[in-house]
Amino acid sequence: MEIKLLSQDKTQVRVVVKGTTPAEMNTYRRTVLTTLPAMAIDTVEFVENSSALYDEMLAHRLGLVVLKTDTESYFEKAKCKCKGAGCARCTLELTLEVEGPGIVYAEQLKSKDPAVIPVHGKTPLVKLLDNQKVKLIAHAILSTGQEHIKFSPGLLYYQGYPQIKVGAVKNPEAIAEMCPTNVFEADSKKLTVKNKEACILCMACVDASKGDVEVSGSATDFILTIEPWGQLTPGQMVDGCVDALHEQIDALSEEIKKLK
Amino acid sequence: MIIPIRCASCGKPIAQLWGDYQRRTAQGESAKTVMDELGLVRYCCRAQFMGHVDLIDEIAKFKKG
Repeated sequence: MEIKLLSQDKTQVRVVVKGTTPAEMNTYRRTVLTTLPAMAIDTVEFVENSSALYDEMLAHRLGLVVLKTDTESYFEKAKCKCKGAGCARCTLELTLEVEGPGIVYAEQLKSKDPAVIPVHGKTPLVKLLDNQKVKLIAHAILSTGQEHIKFSPGLLYYQGYPQIKVGAVKNPEAIAEMCPTNVFEADSKKLTVKNKEACILCMACVDASKGDVEVSGSATDFILTIEPWGQLTPGQMVDGCVDALHEQIDALSEEIKKLK
Repeated sequence: MIIPIRCASCGKPIAQLWGDYQRRTAQGESAKTVMDELGLVRYCCRAQFMGHVDLIDEIAKFKKG
């Protein structure tokens, strides 16, 4: 397997992975989605809520708020010493007490742990009018995407590495212009591939050129995109994914050894 | 009623961008450029913004049943 960094910015990391299989890529995708632990609000106790949103709606919104996760000092409830009873090692209390008027933002949540706070402080939770009030105690836990998608730390997805063959194209300029990601460059009568990695395999150029341009995605080389929501860094996501896979494979081989 | 915290389809957190989007489109910028600059790439997230109507101001005036 050969890996090359393609681009990296605030929202996503793209890498080219060569010499592997779709099955392997899909394993990584599913592992990140379902087995990486991250923190999110799980239960909410309302003391007062005179806002326009029902308790359930507000609790649901709170649950979806992205919390910066500290995987070192928190444990999943099932793996915690307290055996799921709830202690400082597996649950974190956040409180919110606001009076209207105004928009209530996620940054107004008071966390007991300064390391675990909402990533996007300007997330609007609810809007209050004069005399409306919200007072609540929320409990955040560490869990995985298998339990609820809000615990998922982000997306990891892949596409086949684009393979583009340009034949005798009759209308190069029109095709270069219609490409949604500007893959081509057209000079008078020739169509050249300028930015191959931007291709999203939409096949618009294939249709427009009536087959003179051939596009396909490789089955052995892939463009892998890691898009974190903010709980974990892209590096932590990949490390966690590899660790989780190792754990699963070790557990499998343990079981197989027992059969002998 | 109020902008969803996350995109219903892909799960990307989007609510924190709504204030910016609303202010900039009200000033006359096109929704396309604003969404491009806010990093809403997929059409699922863009649809959340384009189809959203803020009704909470209206609804908040009435008592919950």
